[in-house]
Amino acid sequence: MSSIIQTQGLTKVYGSNGTAVHALRGIDLTVAKGEFVALIGPSGSGKSTLMAILGCLDLPTEGTYTLDGHQVQGLSGGELARIRNEKVGFVFQSYNLLPKASIARNVELPMLYAGVGRKERRERALALLEKVGIADKADKLPGTLSGGQRQRVAVARALANEPALLLADEPTGALDSKTGAEVLGLFRELHQQGNTLLLVTHDPSIAAQAERQVEIRDGLIALNEGAA
Amino acid sequence: MKTSGAFRERLLGAWVEIRENLGRSVLQALGVLLGVASVLGGFSISDSQRRRADEMFVKMGGLDKLNVQPKAAVRDGRPTALQQANLGLRDEDATGGEGLKADAIHGVSRQKFARARVVSAYGDQDRQISGIGGDFIPANGYEVVRGRAFSTSDTDSGAPVVILGTEAAQTFFPKGDALGQTLRIGDVPVTVIGLFEERVFRFREGQHNQFWWRNRIIAVPASLVQRRMNGDAYRRLDRVTFRIPDLGAMGGFAKQLSDLLKANHRLQEDFRLDDVAARIRRRNSQGDVYDIIFLLSGVLALVGGGIVNVNIQMAGLKERVREVGVKMAIGASGREIFKGFMTEALLLTALGSLAGLALGVGFSWIITKSLGIPLYVTPASFLWAYGLAAAFGFLFALYPAWKASRLSPMEALRYE
Repeated sequence: MSSIIQTQGLTKVYGSNGTAVHALRGIDLTVAKGEFVALIGPSGSGKSTLMAILGCLDLPTEGTYTLDGHQVQGLSGGELARIRNEKVGFVFQSYNLLPKASIARNVELPMLYAGVGRKERRERALALLEKVGIADKADKLPGTLSGGQRQRVAVARALANEPALLLADEPTGALDSKTGAEVLGLFRELHQQGNTLLLVTHDPSIAAQAERQVEIRDGLIALNEGAA
Repeated sequence: MKTSGAFRERLLGAWVEIRENLGRSVLQALGVLLGVASVLGGFSISDSQRRRADEMFVKMGGLDKLNVQPKAAVRDGRPTALQQANLGLRDEDATGGEGLKADAIHGVSRQKFARARVVSAYGDQDRQISGIGGDFIPANGYEVVRGRAFSTSDTDSGAPVVILGTEAAQTFFPKGDALGQTLRIGDVPVTVIGLFEERVFRFREGQHNQFWWRNRIIAVPASLVQRRMNGDAYRRLDRVTFRIPDLGAMGGFAKQLSDLLKANHRLQEDFRLDDVAARIRRRNSQGDVYDIIFLLSGVLALVGGGIVNVNIQMAGLKERVREVGVKMAIGASGREIFKGFMTEALLLTALGSLAGLALGVGFSWIITKSLGIPLYVTPASFLWAYGLAAAFGFLFALYPAWKASRLSPMEALRYE
């Protein structure tokens, strides 16, 4: 099976010599296509940094990272933006929807950046909203939706360009347990449809819902369970 | 990106942003608005003033005139023999000049003045007498409203006939019809054969008639003055005017005429050429100072507004860091972010300019109305005002947009 994520010796150092902080100290991680992985670790463990690098929001200080066959280290800002656009779908704890744009426009935005035509954008956005079960809210503003609904919009947006990797950063952190469970159910559904998911959380009970758990501690992988 | 309607989306996004932050947007547009209004308003006011002045010259018979007047040949020292022997401006000069470029010249008028005592049954005054010939009447914007103009035989023979302006007619014949009556100029009795239409021009509404002096005219054939009042055997003239509608031909003609007259005048420059259009251009160029002042105040407003804009934009950017981060996370490149911010700023500039244009036209309308002259706005003023606003709008939008585009997506996402 081809791997979506392949990293070797990833390190990340913030600051300069005197005050350097080593957030990652050498991460070797492989995630195969179609896996549902939970990245778990306490705050300060380096999991957010790892997620940022895996999501191409940031570049590692050292080490190599290959995402769906593309070398990531050494890319320019513009090239990173393109990779993010085409290969990665983000779901954030605080939804991060654009408050002034309608639900449909929020979902259309990644497609706009990818150069998809207007008509097709709209059609695909509506289909995605249908998929996450809130097609009827397409023309509402995010502020009028509940937290669970907003997170569904975020998931629809993340899926817009059919990314190789879906990255969810504490996606249930701002939700009550019932809606949180619903969102997790949605993730499991997406997993069954063949998407590759990486879920970042500090909560072991949520991590347990993934098929594989990777624990980060002090910038290193402490536990790598269920690797394919 | 060509087919995706990205520009349309950016425009829409910019519009939403402007509408959602109406107060801030209005403040930002204010600088542009004032700058545009100041440039356009200033230009329009000075254009209107100039145009009105041009209208006055046109009513006096047009701008397309070249005057020739006698001038003293001796500037210092004793006059030379040639200078002493010179005859001054004569009839031959007028006919010779006309022969130079007959097709370009649409009229030649001659004038010979005299000062004389004018006496009728009702009035007895010392007056300026205009001896006229050639195309004087049309070339100077006069019109015979009653009676007739001078015939060729009148001008050839120096007939004792006169045409009066309205003021002169009323002064010497207050009881009414002057036509056919007799007037004594010096010791020459002349018959009134025509009356000029009253000339009226008010620079502003309600101002006095600036053409009042033109109604004082007492016109007789130039040959009459030359022969029986103030003349001599050489038929000297006080002024010859050539009318040349093609202003491009004017310069060449003036040069040729100058050469001809110099040859006729024993190589003495005892004449002066006066190009009316050139004179008006010179006068107008003094008005350019005002244009520069208005331009400068407009530029200052635009620069001031621009600096304020940068500040507002930078403060606004703080609130929008997260938005930028989200957009970057879902695939917007720095360039895309840059374009978005630029679109917003330029849209705001465009809207501000539009309001400024309206304000500028309104402002100059009020000023010209209060001056009592008609408003005249040239397309050039619009272009200047709009071009300047666009240039400064663009310039001052660059920094905040660049700043936004350089945000790190990671830090932007974490920004609280």
